[in-house]
Amino acid sequence: MDERVLLVEDDASIREVTTLGLERAGFRVTTAADGREGLARFRAAPPDLVVLDVMLPELDGLEVCREIRRESRVPILMLSAKADTVDVVVGLELGADDYVTKPFELPELVARVRAALRRASTDVPGTEVVSIGGLEIDPDGFRVLKDGREIALTATEFRLLLELASRPRQVFTRELLLERVWNYEYLGDSRLVDAAVQRLRAKIEDDPKEPKLLLTVRGVGYRVAAG
Amino acid sequence: MPERRVTPGRLRLRLTIAFILVAGLSAAALAAGSYLVVRENRLADSVERALDQSRFNLVLAGEVVGEGGIRGVVEALQRRGEFTTVASSGGDAFSSSLSIGQGDVPGELAGLVARGDLGHQRVTLRGAPYLVAGGRVPESELDVYFFFDEQELQDELDQLRTILLVGVALVALLAGIVGWILARRTLAPVARASEAARSLAEGLLETRIPVERADEFGAWAASFNEMADALQGKIVALSQAQSRERRFTSDVAHELRTPVTALVAEASLLAEQLESLPPDARRPAELLVADVGRLRVLVADLMEISRLDAGAEPARLEPVDLGALVSAVIRDRGADGQIRVDEEPVILESDRRRLERILGNLVGNALEHGGGEAAIRIVAKDGSAVVEVSDRGPGIPAEHLPHVFERFYKADPSRTSAGSGLGLAIARENACLLGGDLEAASEDGQGTRFTLRLPVTRSLHAGHGPDERPDDDAERPSEGGSR
Repeated sequence: MDERVLLVEDDASIREVTTLGLERAGFRVTTAADGREGLARFRAAPPDLVVLDVMLPELDGLEVCREIRRESRVPILMLSAKADTVDVVVGLELGADDYVTKPFELPELVARVRAALRRASTDVPGTEVVSIGGLEIDPDGFRVLKDGREIALTATEFRLLLELASRPRQVFTRELLLERVWNYEYLGDSRLVDAAVQRLRAKIEDDPKEPKLLLTVRGVGYRVAAG
Repeated sequence: MPERRVTPGRLRLRLTIAFILVAGLSAAALAAGSYLVVRENRLADSVERALDQSRFNLVLAGEVVGEGGIRGVVEALQRRGEFTTVASSGGDAFSSSLSIGQGDVPGELAGLVARGDLGHQRVTLRGAPYLVAGGRVPESELDVYFFFDEQELQDELDQLRTILLVGVALVALLAGIVGWILARRTLAPVARASEAARSLAEGLLETRIPVERADEFGAWAASFNEMADALQGKIVALSQAQSRERRFTSDVAHELRTPVTALVAEASLLAEQLESLPPDARRPAELLVADVGRLRVLVADLMEISRLDAGAEPARLEPVDLGALVSAVIRDRGADGQIRVDEEPVILESDRRRLERILGNLVGNALEHGGGEAAIRIVAKDGSAVVEVSDRGPGIPAEHLPHVFERFYKADPSRTSAGSGLGLAIARENACLLGGDLEAASEDGQGTRFTLRLPVTRSLHAGHGPDERPDDDAERPSEGGSR
């Protein structure tokens, strides 16, 4: 286990101790102290996962998140001081996979990093191609084709779609999806699900405002339209 | 604040009525007085004239009676006109008119005349007023009565009365109009002042009354404005002080966040290495880890309370299975099996993260102070969901109970606890934000019970999905969430 993690954090103490904790957990860590440096390091040597502070000098964490998403499907974990504010929601909508609230304990961070990496691993149960409404979901190749053209999904988006599509018509509660896709055993943030569904719709629906595939079941959760 | 609504214009009405009464009564008294005086004079005049004429007539009759008898007397007198003559002597009677006869002479007058006096009396014959004067012709047995028609006099008096009545009515009406206008003008500043006071009470602190007149109302308006100035100054100063204090809390929390984040991460790293530390260093390291945990809770609570004060975050509603959430909170605290849960299935529309904070605090309290015995009961009651968290701990003394939801309030200042002293304050503010409330009941030595009441009502602006699509043929989930 020597996955490479890029840690972008401006506070030297937090950066050092987090590096220590991640290294002890078996990761190879590269660090950057501001957004611009973080983006440069990301381009110089693409890591397996990015841990990104929201508040960064030079280039804001949200801006870095947007830039990385433009060129890569790498899992992104946001570090946020304010779990309840729009920062988290914006980060998730920009494509972050998960977030950890400051202050955090290292085992908590390590667990979230591992969960994100597990999602990103191409090792998916089942090899049957699932076809649904013009989409072909290929678990073996870890890719999705829409009308024959490949769509770039992040690992989290891919697993969310596969989970929903594997049992069409079944309604999934947000809690169940948090457990199955994000690996939160309990008390996950349902905004993770909502943001990911929104991102998925933007990629797979003809009209994301009038979804035909990924349906909201009012007051319960989500399901995929059968057929 | 009890709303005491007063119908405006009552005083104006009273003033107007008073005006009408004073002017109307004076005019009426004056009119009635003059009418009575005029009437008395006119009636007395009429009598005097009738008696003068009668005396003269009787003398004349005395000269005629010898020649023409009764008939001659009546005919002679009738030529003088203006009255109707009735003459009687013994059983014999004669009248100058067909409509008036001996029978119309009032008996009282007849008696007076029989005694030889000159008398008069007023009678009404067939609706017409008459003055009857009568007397005995000197040195004869002949009584002669003169019926003077007073219809014209009566008509005049009636006309006068009508004019006076109309006059009184006009005066009263005029008084009413003048009174209304005067009352309105006088009371206008009062109405304005009442309007101003109300808008001041509603929070428009810049409300002032224009000082227009140099009278009592002007002075009053000036005083009112002084009071409003003072009030506005006080409130502005107060809210500035409050927002300074809140900004300070928020700044402190934010400045503490970065070092505390580093401390928490460092402590968690240290915690894994406690076993391998030399014995001398191990105990201090353990204490350090525990104290960093307390500091973390304090900073997190400070940040949350300053966010609540800023009121920047609206509740985010989504369906929440209360029983499942309670179980998750208990599991998260590592207290599986330590708390008895007695639940009715309740699903409500609420903010999951805030509910989690409230329940986490209550569960944490029950575990810490509960004396090892805690229970949670979830019931749906009258459109509310009620969560009762009770324990069998030492309880909260009655004098401390009303203060447990105050910030930094600690029942026993010497007792150190893992809490920040903000937990219950935050829990209650979150409960209020969700449209519910949180209460505490306790008996010394009998344990404590916290009751959280929440509205179940589904809100239409539940923002739990980016795209809301009603989906009627949806199946219920076959797996029950995270339980």
